[in-house]
Amino acid sequence: MSYNTDKDVESIDQAAETLEGLAAYGLEAAKKLGADGAKIATSASFQKRLVVENKQFTLANSLASRNIGLLVHKDHKKGSASINTVSEDSINTAVASALALAKYSVPDLTLTLASLSEAPRAKVLPFLYTEELAQVDLVAIQEFMQEVLGRLTSDSRVALDRFEMAVDVSFHALASSTGMRQSERQAMASWSFMGMGRDGEEVTGFDYDSGFALSRGAILAASLKDSDAFVAKLLGLFKPRQCPSYKGAILLTPRAVHELLVDSLLYHAGGRQVMDGKSRWDKAVGQRIVSPQLTLRDHPHDPRFSGATGFDGDGVPTKAQTFVDRGVLQMILHDCYSAKRCKAKTTATSGGPFALEVAAGTSSKAELLRSHKQLLVVDRFSGNADPIKGDFSGVAKGSRLFANGEDAGSVTETMIAGNFFTIAEEILGVSRETEMVSGSFLSPYILVGGVSVTGAL
Amino acid sequence: MKDTLQQLVQGQQGFIELRYHKRTANSFVAQKGRVDVANHAITEGVGVRALVGGAWGFAATADISPQAIRRAIAQAQSNARMLAKVKAGPALILARDRLSQQQFIGPGYAELTQMKLEDKLAQVVNYERQLAAASARMHTARCQYKEILEEKAIVTSDGVACSLKLAQPEFSMTAIAEKDGDRTTGHKGAGVSGGWNCLFKHPSLDHAVEETARIAVDLLAAKYPEGGQKTVILAPAVVGLLCHEAIGHTVEADFVKSGSVAQGKIGHRVASDLVTMADSGCETISGYAVGNLPFDDEGVETENTIIIKDGILSSYLHNRESAQEFGVAPTGNARAWLFNDEPLIRMRNTYLLPGTSRLADMIAGVEDGYLVEGAGSGQADANGEFMFGTGYVWRIRGGKKVELLREATLSGIAFDVLQTVDAVSQEFLWDLGTGYCGKGQAAKVDAGGPYVRCKITVGGEQA
Repeated sequence: MSYNTDKDVESIDQAAETLEGLAAYGLEAAKKLGADGAKIATSASFQKRLVVENKQFTLANSLASRNIGLLVHKDHKKGSASINTVSEDSINTAVASALALAKYSVPDLTLTLASLSEAPRAKVLPFLYTEELAQVDLVAIQEFMQEVLGRLTSDSRVALDRFEMAVDVSFHALASSTGMRQSERQAMASWSFMGMGRDGEEVTGFDYDSGFALSRGAILAASLKDSDAFVAKLLGLFKPRQCPSYKGAILLTPRAVHELLVDSLLYHAGGRQVMDGKSRWDKAVGQRIVSPQLTLRDHPHDPRFSGATGFDGDGVPTKAQTFVDRGVLQMILHDCYSAKRCKAKTTATSGGPFALEVAAGTSSKAELLRSHKQLLVVDRFSGNADPIKGDFSGVAKGSRLFANGEDAGSVTETMIAGNFFTIAEEILGVSRETEMVSGSFLSPYILVGGVSVTGAL
Repeated sequence: MKDTLQQLVQGQQGFIELRYHKRTANSFVAQKGRVDVANHAITEGVGVRALVGGAWGFAATADISPQAIRRAIAQAQSNARMLAKVKAGPALILARDRLSQQQFIGPGYAELTQMKLEDKLAQVVNYERQLAAASARMHTARCQYKEILEEKAIVTSDGVACSLKLAQPEFSMTAIAEKDGDRTTGHKGAGVSGGWNCLFKHPSLDHAVEETARIAVDLLAAKYPEGGQKTVILAPAVVGLLCHEAIGHTVEADFVKSGSVAQGKIGHRVASDLVTMADSGCETISGYAVGNLPFDDEGVETENTIIIKDGILSSYLHNRESAQEFGVAPTGNARAWLFNDEPLIRMRNTYLLPGTSRLADMIAGVEDGYLVEGAGSGQADANGEFMFGTGYVWRIRGGKKVELLREATLSGIAFDVLQTVDAVSQEFLWDLGTGYCGKGQAAKVDAGGPYVRCKITVGGEQA
C-alpha cells in the first residue's frame, strides 16, 4: 500500500473498494475460524494539514491511513482486535487474536449484532462529500490560512499558540455477519485556534475554538467568522476582576449549556446507564424530567453539524428525533446491546447523539442579562461533575460579570458549584438567539438558578 | 529496522528524520460481571520529517517497505519545500546535543510479551469479581488493564541511530457503593515502565481491592468539605497533577514562545524555597514511574530536567529546535503518540522533589485544614490558573485527621500557591501512572511527589 507522493495517491474510491473486499474476507475468515458472529469496521482517510505556531507557518503534513476493527462473538463471549496494516494475513491474525480473547472472556447472553431488518442500507447524505473540496491541496489551504492569520494577528495582544487547518477525505464502512452493510464517504475542511491574550506581563486565560466546512466555497467565510469571534473573546479577557460570591442565577453560554446541562442529561437518558442501574430516569419516559423550557433534539442529517452521518456505530440508519420535548423525556437512547438488555428497541444512537440542538426560547439574550442585579455569564466549565448525583464544582472559565445588564468585565478565579438536577429544573429563561459550538452543538443561552458562585479569596 | 532506515537516509538532501514505530496495545475492561472490552490493537508505520529552510514537512506510511518509505521521504520534502516558500525567517538549526545511538530494551518487555493475553484477561476478570464481592454495598465494580508495548527505531541524517522496546502496563479499579440511592466512588490505579509483576508491586495497588471498596463505602457516610481558602496537605497524586498541569505545561518551550506566564521568568522566584521541581525521562527517584524513556522521538537522550530549583525557575522543556533558539541543550521532551504524529514538546515524569519533613509532623502542625487524597481530572491555564478534582479529603483539626470527607475541587494560580508551601515531606510516590496528557496528541506520562502543605482555594457551597 502506498499513498505518499502525489502521483501514487490512491483515490478514496479505490481505498473503499479495497477495504470492502477485505471486510468481506474478514467476515469469511471469522466464520471459518469458528466465530458465531462478527462485525468489521473499516476506514480510510487522506489528510492535508498545515500548522501555524506562534504566528508562523511551521509544518505541512500529508497523511494517509487505513484501519480495520474487528469484533467477534463466540459462545456468547466477545473479543476484538484492530490493525492499520491491511492485508489478508494481518486480518487472519486479527481474527485469531479476537477469538483467543473471546475464548477467555465472560459469557454474556445479550451480546448482539444489528440484524438486517434493524439495519437496512442507510440513505446517502450527498452533502457529506464534494469533489471540489476533496481536491483542495496544501497550497490552497495555505492561502485560506494566510487570510485568517491576518485577522488573528491584527491585534498584537493575541498570543496565538496554534492554528491548524486541514482537509480530510475519508471513507468508513461497517459490515457484519448478519448481512448489514453500510458505508459513507466524506470530505471536510476543519480548523482550530488555540491561544491567549498577552499584554506586557498580563496573560489571560487560554481559549480555543474550532469549526468546519463541507464545501470549498464555505471555508474562508466560516473560518474568518470563527477567527473574529475567537479574537474578540481573547481580547475581552484582559484585566479580569474579582467576582463577588453569591448563590443564585448564572447565565450559561451555549458552550456551558453543553458542559453543565446536556452532558448530564444525556448520561441519565443513556441506555448503558439504564442497563447498569446508574440512571435516575430509567422509568421516566413520558414524564417531565426537567424544566418545560428545555427541548433537546438530534439532527444527524443536518449539514450544519460536523457529526452528521447516515448510520450509527451498530450500522443502524440514523434519523432526526427529539429526546426531550418541553421537559418531557421522549426516549432512552439505546444502542443494540443496551436495547436487548433492557428489552427495548435501538434508537440508532450507538456512538451518538450526532448533531444536538437545544431549542431556542422566547427571551432575548439582553433581557436575560438584565434579569438580575449581578449575573455571572459562564462560558466554560472546568471542573468535576458527578454524573450520578448531578453535583458539579469547578472554575468558570472565560466568564464575565454583568451588573444590571451591563458588562462589568471578565472575572478571575471564580468557582461555581451546584447540582445538575436543580439547575435543569430551575431554568429561568432561554434566549431566542442560538450559537453553534465547534460545529457540533447548537444552543441558546440559558439562565439557571441555584448555583453557588465563589469569587477569588 | 534501524539498519533499513539508516540506508534510506543516506544521500538525502537536507535534514531527514525517520521514525519507525510499532505499538501493540491490549486493553481489558471488566465490570458488573461482564467483559466490556477485550481488545488487541496493532499500529505500525514510519513517520518522516524533512526540514527545508525554516519549514518542516511531515508524511507517514503504514507500509514499511523501502519503496514506500522513500515515497514518504519525497512527500515530506515536497511539503517542506511548499511551506518554505511562504515561511518568513531564517533557516532552522537544530541543537545536536546527546544524539542517541542506544539500543534499549526496557524492563518487563520480555515478561509482558511472553505472557498470554488470555492470562492477563483472566486476572482482570478475577479482580473484578473480588471487588464486586468486597462489600454488600457494592453497586458497581470495574477493573481495567491496559498495556502499551512499544518498538521504535529513529534515524536522522545528522547522526541519530537508536532503537527501543518498552513496556508500559497500567491497572485500575473503581468501586461505586450505594446506600438509599446515594452513591460514592473509590478508585485505585497505577502504571509502570516494567512488567506485570512490577505493576502489581506498585505501592498504590497495595491491598487495592480492600482499599478501593473501603473508600467507596466509607464515603457514603461522609459530608462535603467546606469551601474557602484553606491550609491543605496535598497528597503525591495531587502534587503530581499540580506539577504537570499547572506548571509543566507553562514551561513547555513552544508554549513559552507563544506567551505563557512562564515567559521571561527564568531566574525569577516562582515558589517557596522548599520547592524543587523536575521533569525526568529517566527514573531518578523512588521506583515505578511510567514515563521513563531512554531517548525522545527526535532521538535525543533524556535527562532529569530541573524546572524549579529552590523556588527559582531554572529551565523550560525543549525539543531540538527550541533548544537551539533558547541557546540551551535539548532536554529530550519531543514526543509523538503514533508513527503518523509529528513530535511535540511533552512532559515525561513530572514531580516535586521530596523534602525533609515527615507527613505525621505536617499533619500535627495543622490546626484546621484538610489532607487531600487522590487526583481527579485537572486543567490549567496559560496564566497558571488551575482547577483539579480530588478523590477524597480528610479534615484535620488540632493536628489530627478527624473526619473523612467527600471529593473537593481545588483551584488557584499555580505560582501563587507554590509560594505558600511551608512543608514538604520525605515520603514520595509516583501516582499518576494511569494518566494520559492531551495536547492534540495523547502522551503516556507520570507525575508524583511528596506530601506538600500549602494554602489553596477549596470549592464549596455558598450560604
